[in-house]
Amino acid sequence: MSAPSLETKVGGLTLQNPVIAASGTFGYGLEYRPYLDLNRLGGLVTKGISLEPRQGNPPPRIWETASGMLNAIGLANVGLERFIAEKLPALAELDCAVIVNLYGEAVDEFAALARALDGRRGVAALELNVSCPNVKSGGMAFGVDPQAVAAVTRAVKAETGLPVWVKLTPNVTSPVAVAQAAVQAGADAISLINTLLGMAIDARGRRPRLANVVGGLSGPAIKPVGLRMVWQVAQALPGVPVVGMGGIASGEDAAEYLIAGASAVQVGTGNFQDPASCRRIAEELAQFCVENQVARVSDLIGSLRPPA
Amino acid sequence: MTAWARIAENLRLGQDVFRLRLEAPEIAAQARPGQFVMLKVRHGGDPLLARPFSIHGAENGELFILYRVVGRGTKILSMARPGKNLALWGPLGRGFDLGVANPVLVAGGMGMAPLPFTAEELVREGKRPAFLLGMLTTGGYVALVDALDKRLKNVGVAISWASEDGGLGRKGLVTALLAEALQNGAAHILACGPLPMLKAVAALAAEHGAPCQVSLEAPMACGIGVCLGCALPAAGEGYLRACQEGPVLDSARLDWARL
Ligand SMILES: Cc1cc2nc3c(=O)[nH]c(=O)nc-3n(C[C@H](O)[C@H](O)[C@H](O)COP(=O)(O)OP(=O)(O)OC[C@H]3O[C@@H](n4cnc5c(N)ncnc54)[C@H](O)[C@@H]3O)c2cc1C
Ligand SMILES: Cc1cc2nc3c(=O)[nH]c(=O)nc-3n(C[C@H](O)[C@H](O)[C@H](O)COP(=O)(O)O)c2cc1C
Ligand code: FES
Repeated sequence: MSAPSLETKVGGLTLQNPVIAASGTFGYGLEYRPYLDLNRLGGLVTKGISLEPRQGNPPPRIWETASGMLNAIGLANVGLERFIAEKLPALAELDCAVIVNLYGEAVDEFAALARALDGRRGVAALELNVSCPNVKSGGMAFGVDPQAVAAVTRAVKAETGLPVWVKLTPNVTSPVAVAQAAVQAGADAISLINTLLGMAIDARGRRPRLANVVGGLSGPAIKPVGLRMVWQVAQALPGVPVVGMGGIASGEDAAEYLIAGASAVQVGTGNFQDPASCRRIAEELAQFCVENQVARVSDLIGSLRPPA
Repeated sequence: MTAWARIAENLRLGQDVFRLRLEAPEIAAQARPGQFVMLKVRHGGDPLLARPFSIHGAENGELFILYRVVGRGTKILSMARPGKNLALWGPLGRGFDLGVANPVLVAGGMGMAPLPFTAEELVREGKRPAFLLGMLTTGGYVALVDALDKRLKNVGVAISWASEDGGLGRKGLVTALLAEALQNGAAHILACGPLPMLKAVAALAAEHGAPCQVSLEAPMACGIGVCLGCALPAAGEGYLRACQEGPVLDSARLDWARL
């Protein structure tokens, strides 16, 4: 069999392969240059960018768990101005899709970020992290409230012609209502899942492991949750492009997400297991296609069969 | 860069201390004193994250790591046999600045790991470093003490030992040796060890107006500056990344009260 086609279309973009590096695990991209050829990635998502620089939470900020990790980084980032001046020019030279992840604590912050990035060379799409606290509603995350997600999405769409991906939190009973609200407000794709809220305790010292007490769980431990939510959204909203993530560490993991209904996948914590993960996972996915007589990776999307 | 390195030797040097020798020519060729590597103690997702280890030595295409078994990852590592391959990436971070006069190297416990390499490179640059090494106890570590003494003797450096149980060298803390060394003309401190020791060293340095470089530890996921897990409180405000701006930092750049 000839080499399978890895190309996939998702949320207004055509990607050379479906493997994208996830926000917060790939820095501003260039940090990975010594480890893999960034031009061969399906895409990369930047660290979440906020209007002002953020220092982040006090340490300890991370803790390893069974097949996963907790993080409470606190969205530390260089802020919009420095991102545009110092990071974007080099990103603009890459041949892979660069998706800028946005973090705001109010609707107008998201809108201002989108306005500032609209039309900038090097930005292929925006991804909205709606797992952040909505200051106007007492700090409850935007992402648990369909109306708040719709408001953010609408405000961003009004400011930009760029494709807008809305990244959902798994810390809800069902992601479908939120996904639907985002799509009706104009989202071009749904990314999911962000981290699951968790906690770790040092029993001997009787203290939390993280200074922030609670943090986001990621890594292989959350893959079943990610698959379930991707599948739910894909079932409920046929035709809506989904970018799946959560615990992907191999080409076969990526194939599972595509089969569940994702059109592309993101790799987060996997980058920490091995800085060349994204390249390896794309290669393994190609190999998976060869071994399973799949001519185009896009043939896998949503191809789940009924239970045996 | 990443490597898939064959274990040449994994030698026990004391009750819970091992020296790992890895065939990693590219990393060894670039390694500088005070830098570290991220090492997966075994292939796959369990344990998930790589472990940071200082570069204990680098020669003839081989990389040395000196480690203590403290938890699950290092336990697994201690059982790895020669011939097996391990994944690692590095060399990472900023090491010691060797362009200093009258250096005194101060090590506490496993903080000794990066300092023999540092001493060797200082000697290569024509310096004569003092080397102070403190341990809780040296009883279970005859082979380790011996290996270190020999290695440093080879470059003409004699270790001044301190042990809290008085088993070897001065009875008490290594900082007592440091206070004397500073009085006797040592000018520039390069230190690695547990946080309480580094705090005492930084305080002594400030008292004597001596420049001081410290190597610090922090939990790390990536080792390459992207996860922001390894934050250390910076003097003034904000944070420094132990894996990028560190692990070796000028002690004046840190907010010791928040550490
Ligand atoms: C830059 C740097 C250099 C180091 N050099 C050495 C060295 O040369 N020799 C040596 O013996 N040890 C060194 N350490 C400490 C070493 O990384 C830890 O002892 C090791 O990670 C423990 O893993 P574990 O699974 O056995 O322990 P566990 O306690 O089971 O580990 C649980 C988690 O906590 C992390 N962790 C535990 N202790 C530390 C620590 N002290 N620092 C950072 N993360 C920790 C682990 O990496 C892991 O993610 C260094 C640490 C850093 C940051
Ligand atoms: C250290 C760390 C930082 C993260 N930072 C962000 C962020 O800034 N914005 C965001 O949308 N998601 C962030 N995430 C979530 C990931 O992008 C991803 O959604 C999640 O980790 C699940 O995927 P994984 O299991 O492959 O890691 C972060 C995750 C980790 C582990
Ligand atoms: S260990 Fe990830 S940023 Fe330092």
